Amino acid sequence: MNITSSDVILLAHSTFGVFGTLAAVWVFVEALNARTENAGRIRVAAWIAALCMIATWIFGGYWYVHFYPADRAMILKGPWPFAHTLFMETKEHLFFIPLILSFYLPIAAADKLYENANARKMVLCVAMLIVLSGLAIEGAGAVINHGVKVALLHGIPGSGR
Amino acid sequence: MNIENAKLGHASAGFAMAGAITILFSTVLACVKDAYKPLNSFMNSVAWHNWITHGFVDVIVFGGLGMILSRSQWADRIAPRRLISFLVAAVIVAGVGLFVWYAAY
Repeated sequence: MNITSSDVILLAHSTFGVFGTLAAVWVFVEALNARTENAGRIRVAAWIAALCMIATWIFGGYWYVHFYPADRAMILKGPWPFAHTLFMETKEHLFFIPLILSFYLPIAAADKLYENANARKMVLCVAMLIVLSGLAIEGAGAVINHGVKVALLHGIPGSGR
Repeated sequence: MNIENAKLGHASAGFAMAGAITILFSTVLACVKDAYKPLNSFMNSVAWHNWITHGFVDVIVFGGLGMILSRSQWADRIAPRRLISFLVAAVIVAGVGLFVWYAAY
């Protein structure tokens, strides 16, 4: 077994992305039933979503700058160049949407959702937007991963890292 | 008690507006730096990589605008439903816009 730092960082990036998305689902479900009793839980879940997105930003950013160029070269020589030119390019910039929304989520969740219907709607919308954009980004990650895989399967020269 | 026409808090309203503006700004910046290479090179020189610079700029714009709008209470005057609609529209426009841009570029 040979697990490199690149593997650990890449998996930490996607894992924290999933955790951040799940925390946003948690916020959404709690906000649907906002009461005084779960106000604290909503705020905790909102902070978890924000912290997970920050972690995925740091891990993803480090991996993207230090390790992705080798994968990009492979993808571009392989049969799925759009895995980089369309999906990675979109993903890396789309990521800033859930990042900014997750920074905003704890601020929106600080309002009294149980007595303010508009504050509750805002939290529901922001949480749902984080979930949808998070899922889109995870899907794009899968396409990029497959772009590398099909390049390797087609024996692209110089594809060893 | 669940007030249907209650206003958002100062910070919530200000940062919601800041978030929507930052998301649109980020999308425009992504397209401009892609089309105008000198900007891309400049952003590469600021913080190791244009993507890292882009992220820092977004956070600074969001934080700075959010604090200004929260204190000025300008966003408070906008109906909460409009603010929510603006934020949702900004995310949809930005997401679709980025995909279309990279599909066509």
